[in-house]
Amino acid sequence: MSDFDAPKKPAWVGALVPVLLVLASAGLYWFFSAKGEGGGDGPPVDGSAQSLGTKLVNGKTYYLFASLIELYPKNLDGENWDLGDGGPDIRYRVLWQGNEVFKSKVKDDSLIADWSGLGVELEWSDLLGKKFSPDEIIKGARVRSTDDQHVAVEVVDGDVADDDEAGSVEILFKDLRVGTNEFKYEKTPDSAIRRVVLKALPVDSSLQDLVNLMK
Amino acid sequence: MNQSRWGVLACSILLGFGLVAPTLTIVPSAGELTWLVEFLSPEDLEPTTYSILGVIEKLFSTGDEFLGVVLVLFSVLFPVGKLALYWIAAGCGSDLGRAAGLLKWTHRAGKFSMAEVFALALMVVVVKTLPGGSTAEVQWGAYVFVASVLGAILVSFGLDRSQEAKWKLNGSHG
Repeated sequence: MSDFDAPKKPAWVGALVPVLLVLASAGLYWFFSAKGEGGGDGPPVDGSAQSLGTKLVNGKTYYLFASLIELYPKNLDGENWDLGDGGPDIRYRVLWQGNEVFKSKVKDDSLIADWSGLGVELEWSDLLGKKFSPDEIIKGARVRSTDDQHVAVEVVDGDVADDDEAGSVEILFKDLRVGTNEFKYEKTPDSAIRRVVLKALPVDSSLQDLVNLMK
Repeated sequence: MNQSRWGVLACSILLGFGLVAPTLTIVPSAGELTWLVEFLSPEDLEPTTYSILGVIEKLFSTGDEFLGVVLVLFSVLFPVGKLALYWIAAGCGSDLGRAAGLLKWTHRAGKFSMAEVFALALMVVVVKTLPGGSTAEVQWGAYVFVASVLGAILVSFGLDRSQEAKWKLNGSHG
């Protein structure tokens, strides 16, 4: 059969050329960008820092603070926390090896109190010119992790006359992870603590790593 | 292969990249409270980069199917279809009647400019996601997409000119 006799392709077949080219170039970009991103997720962390979620290392020192404490709506006696309908003025302290190693500020009228763990009021404009050390930035206890030891978090309802106990919980170091740790509790005659969120951050981290871990 | 077809090929490649390459990065901000949000809810301040297909996917995932369909139609199917028509029209050679018919269609198609659709896509995303003080940065994919739009316009001019030349040639022979 000569070229003259060969059947002609319909015009729409030719129209597929630009369509296929669009698909091919899109696919090509997708392929190379996916390959490029395969390296690693999340912010880079330098060698000294531990990754988020890893167990605390024995003998290593950590910042420890409660970023959130929630209390049950009634106190240990089953009554309102304050006269009237005022909520509890929550404060906590961290005890390690029988010693108070950190005391927080009071959060007024809160059943759910939170603390940023920051020791300074950070503004982005400050970050441009000032230099902070992690000790200046973090408001928390410094504790050394030992598997068979624990820290105690004691919570009180601050009053003008006398503080009322809200309860106390003991947390083993082996149950803690770097970053955020959440613990939930039932109400008992000795404790009205419903929830404690603790943050553990290695003290030998750079400031940038600490900020990444605090996120 | 004639010049117009080379143009269509280049535009097709640019369009393919323009649809999937980063087009817009939104950097959220909470004004004076940015530092606070950074600690309380840092994920809300993560910059997000969208491609045009990413915008469409987001519209579908957030339940805005109508806008999603409109964007698929006018920023993906329509431009691709237009380039396909240009390809056929550019290959018509001396078949003037058929070329004229196709060009009429392509001119109709040109009324739905991709540039306008692109602007619409950007506006949709910007309006839907930006809190106060946030910024949107145009990425290189946007320029590639615009280059594809401009290229298609040039191809269209080129096809018009070649058709006029053929009409004149036919007229002088007739």
